[in-house]
Amino acid sequence: MMELLKKTPLNKVHRELRARMMDFAGWELPVWYTSILEEHRTVRSGAGIFDVSDMGRVWITGKKAGGFLDRLFSRRPTRLEIGSAQLCLLCLEDGGILDDLLVYRVETDRFLVVWNAANIEQKLGWLKRWAGSDPDIVIQDESAHTLMLAVQGSAVSRLQSLKGLSHLPRFGVAQTRIDDVEVLAARTGYTGEDGFEIISDATNGVRLWESFMRQGVKPCGLGARDSLRLEAGMLLYGQDMDRNTNPFEAGLEWLVELNAGDFIGKSALLEIKRQGIRRKLIGFQMTGQGIARTGYMIVRGGQEVGKVTSGGYSPTLDVSIGFGYVPIELATIGTDIEIMIRSKPVAAQVVSRQFYKRGARNEPKGI
Amino acid sequence: MNPKEYKYTQEHEWICTESRNKGKVGLADYAQLQLGDIVFLDLPAPGTQVEHGKKMGEVESVKAVSDIFAPVSGRVLEINQTVVDEPGLVNKDPYGAGWLVRLELSKPAELDALMDSEKYDKFVVQLSEEESE
Repeated sequence: MMELLKKTPLNKVHRELRARMMDFAGWELPVWYTSILEEHRTVRSGAGIFDVSDMGRVWITGKKAGGFLDRLFSRRPTRLEIGSAQLCLLCLEDGGILDDLLVYRVETDRFLVVWNAANIEQKLGWLKRWAGSDPDIVIQDESAHTLMLAVQGSAVSRLQSLKGLSHLPRFGVAQTRIDDVEVLAARTGYTGEDGFEIISDATNGVRLWESFMRQGVKPCGLGARDSLRLEAGMLLYGQDMDRNTNPFEAGLEWLVELNAGDFIGKSALLEIKRQGIRRKLIGFQMTGQGIARTGYMIVRGGQEVGKVTSGGYSPTLDVSIGFGYVPIELATIGTDIEIMIRSKPVAAQVVSRQFYKRGARNEPKGI
Repeated sequence: MNPKEYKYTQEHEWICTESRNKGKVGLADYAQLQLGDIVFLDLPAPGTQVEHGKKMGEVESVKAVSDIFAPVSGRVLEINQTVVDEPGLVNKDPYGAGWLVRLELSKPAELDALMDSEKYDKFVVQLSEEESE
């Protein structure tokens, strides 16, 4: 039987905008409204708005909330200042990655976890298992009552509604009002541009969305969300990493604090680090013609050496780019590889995974 | 919207004949709408023999890849280099500047098996209805 797709509070708005919808991790979400290329370029040069309500939002509160999260996450949330957020990993005992997530410290004992739409029940179960029945650790999934918008782009801080937040540093978090709606806003994003992720009560979603649209912010779908993050070198859980990959081979060592306190998976990770990794996630750029898509085979000398974990077209570079795991000896920038595009090997080269760097190109100088 | 003088396949290619045995081939509006932004075209080289209903090339959009089928059998006389350099023309003008190849038909009678615009319009309406169900 087909599972019914979950709908965000903005579903009707997307339909009225005649968005093309698709199933994403059990959610019905727009792939594009007018054109992925247009939406992508708007974020690089102006401002776009995404409905990211599929992301899970879970509050962890109580006297022992901080200590509890320190034990679960790969970077200690108690080191965060109030009003800031950080990226970290949720690892299993064997060091495999259960998710990558953002944790916000809103008050001393109030943390918000924002994680991917996939495996929500499993992740909640994992948290609850380790929390046990401790009354000083309260886990509350608020996803159903709230919504989340990402307003992203090089011009976002010039928007009337966000001017009051322009002082907020990268990864800063503020409880504030936008257009008279109470929100929790963080200067974070998944596009490689400046931007904010904004959480509000579900009932206020349409009002916020429409206010941004009136300010000329362009609605953007999953297509642009994917091409923007790929260009920016950002990984997608479930494709570029999962429970069978470890943070070192995924190039996420910077998200792991190995010289601080203990956390679940740490001893396994220390052992993996000691042994050294055998494969590594690379970035590659096609030098031959064609588009490398997720799942395509990576070959060298006629032998399969890996799979494309995320691949596609880069609107900024006008060439196909991607990520994939290859044996460590091939994971050097400049190495020639080939991607099998419908049974033909096509030339590609290992390059830095950060294909697009904010400010390095596409932005006028001297302003 | 779909030009009256063109003929169409179920795979959403069109052919517009300029004489009894020569014509231009392209992708129908429905195809470009489904694919979204087209960023790459792989077309058969001039001189290639193509066969009715068989794959003759590929089209890649940002989101998907799809085969292009020959609407009729024949020989490729020329390809539209402008559209190879700027594949987005297929989105902008699928029935005009976005044409793909010019063919010399080896079996002009094959045209009779293709849909005329009236039939194709209905075909597309039906597909769209199935989609929204």
